[in-house]
Amino acid sequence: MTGRQRADRRAGIAFVAPAVVALAALALYPGLWVLWLSLQQRIPIFGISRFVGLEHFAFLVSDPRFWNAARVTVAFTVASVALELALGLIVALALWRQRAGRRVALSLLLLAWALPSVVTAKLFEWLYHPSAGLVNLLLGGRAFNWLGDPALALPALILADVWRTMPFVALLCYARLLTIPPEIYEAARVDGATRVAMLTSITLPLLRAILLVALLFRTLDALRAFDLMYVLTGGGPAGTTETLTVFAYRSLFQTLQLGFGSAISVAIFVVVMAIAAGYLRALRREGLTA
Amino acid sequence: MIARLAIALLAGLLALGGCAERPAAPGAVTLVFKHAKIFGPSDPIPGLLREFERRHPGVTVKSEPLTWTSDEQHQFYVINLEGATPTFDVLMLDLIWVPEFAQAGWLLDLSPWVTTAELAPHFPAAAAAASWRGRVWGLPWNMNVGVLYYRTDLLAKYGLTPPRTWEALVAQAMQIRAGERDSKLDGVLWQGKQYEGLVVNTLEHLWASGTSLIDERDRVLPDPVRAARALTFMRELLDRGVSPSWVTAGDEELTRRAFGDGHAVFLRSWPYAMDLFEAPDSPVRGRVGIAPLPGHRDGAEGVGATGGFHLAVNRRTRHAEAAVALIRFLASDEGERALTAPAVALYPTRVALYQEPAAVRAHPFMPAFHDLALRGRPRPVTPYYLMLSTTVQPEFSAALVGVKTPERALADARRRLEYMVSHLR
Amino acid sequence: MTTRARRGDLAILILLAVWATPFFWQVRTSFTPDSELLRTTSPLPARPTLAHYQAVVERSVMPRALGNSLAVATITTLVALALGVPAAYGFARLPVPGKGVLLLAIVASTAFPQIATVSPLYLLLRALDLRDTWTALVLANTSFALPLLIWLIAGFIREIPIEVEEAAFLDGAGRLGALGRIVLPLIAPGVASAALLTFLASWNEFLFAFTFTATEASRTVPVALALFPGVFEIPWGDIAAASILASLPPIIIVVGLQRWLVHGLVGGALKE
Repeated sequence: MTGRQRADRRAGIAFVAPAVVALAALALYPGLWVLWLSLQQRIPIFGISRFVGLEHFAFLVSDPRFWNAARVTVAFTVASVALELALGLIVALALWRQRAGRRVALSLLLLAWALPSVVTAKLFEWLYHPSAGLVNLLLGGRAFNWLGDPALALPALILADVWRTMPFVALLCYARLLTIPPEIYEAARVDGATRVAMLTSITLPLLRAILLVALLFRTLDALRAFDLMYVLTGGGPAGTTETLTVFAYRSLFQTLQLGFGSAISVAIFVVVMAIAAGYLRALRREGLTA
Repeated sequence: MIARLAIALLAGLLALGGCAERPAAPGAVTLVFKHAKIFGPSDPIPGLLREFERRHPGVTVKSEPLTWTSDEQHQFYVINLEGATPTFDVLMLDLIWVPEFAQAGWLLDLSPWVTTAELAPHFPAAAAAASWRGRVWGLPWNMNVGVLYYRTDLLAKYGLTPPRTWEALVAQAMQIRAGERDSKLDGVLWQGKQYEGLVVNTLEHLWASGTSLIDERDRVLPDPVRAARALTFMRELLDRGVSPSWVTAGDEELTRRAFGDGHAVFLRSWPYAMDLFEAPDSPVRGRVGIAPLPGHRDGAEGVGATGGFHLAVNRRTRHAEAAVALIRFLASDEGERALTAPAVALYPTRVALYQEPAAVRAHPFMPAFHDLALRGRPRPVTPYYLMLSTTVQPEFSAALVGVKTPERALADARRRLEYMVSHLR
Repeated sequence: MTTRARRGDLAILILLAVWATPFFWQVRTSFTPDSELLRTTSPLPARPTLAHYQAVVERSVMPRALGNSLAVATITTLVALALGVPAAYGFARLPVPGKGVLLLAIVASTAFPQIATVSPLYLLLRALDLRDTWTALVLANTSFALPLLIWLIAGFIREIPIEVEEAAFLDGAGRLGALGRIVLPLIAPGVASAALLTFLASWNEFLFAFTFTATEASRTVPVALALFPGVFEIPWGDIAAASILASLPPIIIVVGLQRWLVHGLVGGALKE
């Protein structure tokens, strides 16, 4: 190794070390610790700290509340992501064809995404108010109890989430659309292609990669979602909007059952990482990874 | 260059982190009193605190309100008392938390200052919750008991007296509603939202059915059949429209408002509501009566759950003497007498105050509350009460809302409770 | 431009305005007096009032929370940049031992659910006695902001042709100098957008802030909003006013600097 190469290696380590150490302490270490916690019965209030092995997991496997939370999480994720992607794509295409007023359009679109999730939760809590909320007003004064009716709460939550996250998908697609050279369309037009044909044969295939990336990001985010459901419904009514994250948080911090709550968190952790790994492998096959 | 910037940043960061700490004033003592927002038209706390400061020069008391639901307050306390920094000195806490906080070692042991004998002037239920394992951890401050409110004018109109059983209550409610032909008049309102209030309501029905959540031998839901009957009854109140469907999202204030606007015949709530019903601008002024909670026909007599708030001191306080002096002042005769002032919707725990002429003049229903409080029944006094409650809340809520049958909800509740309790031994 | 195209543009603008209606409704609510709140019929309040904003600014913890959020978000961004930019450069350009594994670990950590790390972080911060401080939140936010930042900036750096730096080396510059004087100016827009995204993520963060803050000494805006106190009923007007105030910085960032955002996405995430 030349002196230059040795210097580079030293520089490499020096440049990277602070960040790696920080992440090891703040992300990796807690990531391992939560695995360890999940194998314990740990309730600081009562000074209980005992190794119990896989007992929590054994209980969760046959716990109706856990499976309900899992069902809610999956339903929420599938519905939200599907709606976001579909709407985001449509909006991105519409925006791309916009000639005048693009800045205004983009600003209006991004408003929803910019808001903190807690603001969105409070916003929709008010919109869904049975008597004074805008939603019921627009529906002709019918007093739907959006957040209190077990059949309506989850759709109401999904709507709020789609409102908030569709702009992000639209932004991603829009940015990608901007990089498509117009010459491609010129050539196609010269060849006599219709607008629909151009859309399906040129635009959509070119968007496929970014849509997969958006799918990955949004799926992971939806699985891990917490703020909106915690503040908007608290997991109610009767657990119809209680996702795994809310279930875990309640167990962890309502009564500091750190072991049991960590077991639920580990379940979420494993599912999320498995899906991430699966997606990444699929993306790699498409030649798209970092 | 960048490395130097980074080091400077980290140093600045650590220095700034200290900015968030409370600066300690030399000499003067500042106590932080954490308390729930007082419902009702008049708040006695500021006056009491200023009086205390007057008597203890050099001590200032800073009052900090808590979030407004019991569960959120508990979560706040749990998260913060677990940490080591004493951000508050004196706390007002729901009496069901006293054993839990005492066991966790978060409360200052008051025994050097307060003997158990000194708790005698307070209601027995309140005094019992103030001590744990033979030591005193809190001072009773205000008393609560579940009561039945009813519209005296409506019952009189149909020649009815307050019902002794829930079944009779349902019949009366339906009769009155049929007679009044008012579509906005509900039968009975109660707290069915998924929170501690739901557990209280359910416990009262369990007791009225002759069973309980936990028996003396620490067995969970010892009589599932009766328990299912109780839960089914609550569900039927909704199914039959005797209670409106929004009751499943109803807490104290929502239900109190609706009854206070004249939209219901009966209401199950706490004593504080009475002062609001008797306020000058209240639509139901002079037309509300209180009665003991009904029992169930094939069960037992009705009994209200007792509750209330105690005062305690954070074990990590830096001003133990001043803090203890504050709570002794607030819970003294004088302090609690301030709670009997007109338009204060809190009721004291000192039994004798209920007979004082001035108090009775200000709150004509005090003797009635006194009797009900004496007959009231406390929720399970155990450090694990909150864990029990938060475990069964979603199950009870699921049964009420119709997501699960009561039998299934109780079976699930039992399974979770047993798993929990087994680990606590 | 044809009328048809213009009408199309207008239609899209209207549709997007409709999409943003929930936000505008909240703005309307913040100016609506309590007496009108529960009896809404008109799009605009009959008697607009500043009472809610007054209440929020004078009698609530929001001003303090805004200060806390600003401090925490700014410090988090600075820390993330200080740690992340060199790390990104190292990963992009230098022979770091175990680079493949490290990069994979860093990318993997962007997928970590916050709920999984919140309990160990809670115990850790408790042990270090850092509860209710800005430091705690900065550390927690850095844990999820840093990996994303590294990934984004490494992407930007890789876009710069290596020859640009080679030229600098020939002139005698060291690695640090190359980074500071050559690379950084070239990727400045990308770094700016990554910094803004980090600020935004930190401002909006709720779970960690809710768990690790105890009093208004460190409580950030989302937590203050979630715990907004009410006496009898929920003070919708005050909450609306607080919400609008809480949203101003993110809105200004996102809307005012949308060009940077788009550029950042086009430049970074898509060039993979």
